[in-house]
Amino acid sequence: MILLTAIVAGILVGVLGAWHAGVSWQLPILRHTWLAIVGFLPQLLAFYLPATRNLLNKSQAAVCLVLSQLLLLGFCLGNLKSSGIAILAGGLTLNLLVILANGGLMPLPIETANKLLPQSVMDTLKIGQRLSTQSKDILLPAKQIVLPWLADRFTSPPGFPYLFVFSLGDVLIAAGAFWLLAKPLHKPKPTI
Amino acid sequence: MKTTFARLSLSISKINKTHIQMLLMVVVLAMLVLGAGAVADFGGVGR
Repeated sequence: MILLTAIVAGILVGVLGAWHAGVSWQLPILRHTWLAIVGFLPQLLAFYLPATRNLLNKSQAAVCLVLSQLLLLGFCLGNLKSSGIAILAGGLTLNLLVILANGGLMPLPIETANKLLPQSVMDTLKIGQRLSTQSKDILLPAKQIVLPWLADRFTSPPGFPYLFVFSLGDVLIAAGAFWLLAKPLHKPKPTI
Repeated sequence: MKTTFARLSLSISKINKTHIQMLLMVVVLAMLVLGAGAVADFGGVGR
């Protein structure tokens, strides 16, 4: 959910920038929006809806994640001309690469999880296990992770009230979404 | 009460196709970002 702050920040900056420039703010027009909706569906079922996510095992969740990200990548490729989408697609590709290289789910190094999670929670987790049914991450020792620099290895800043772990791909995704909204097409304000 | 209702009706009547398209686009972007990302979210719980 922390990624949604990039959307909110992008809209705020875009609206303020347009207001400062004396033009009205417009969202970029994206094509094939149905592909994004269809592409998100497997993840909605596998990770977000409690009624369905509890029915799927790790392998099924992995298939849903890979299928979903491939469809979303298709959506990005169909909209590469929009500013920011290329950056976002780059981030998605990096995430997809490390996910595919590690069996279909995003690897989370034990060492990274140890920094954020209380020992009582760590004691309940097993190597190779998902953190929860709503998580795309599996816990792995850093040495076992293929493409470790693309894994969820970066943590939220010290003192930050909200704890999360993210990947290099996530940074690009947030940057792309922000740029897409903060630098949209403007049209002159109608003069009445 | 009548004034409130009239104001509400006026506000709703100002919602046009563009607003709905913008809302849809934001929802699509949210789905794209959530689907593309793989952030491990621990909320406020932790060390």
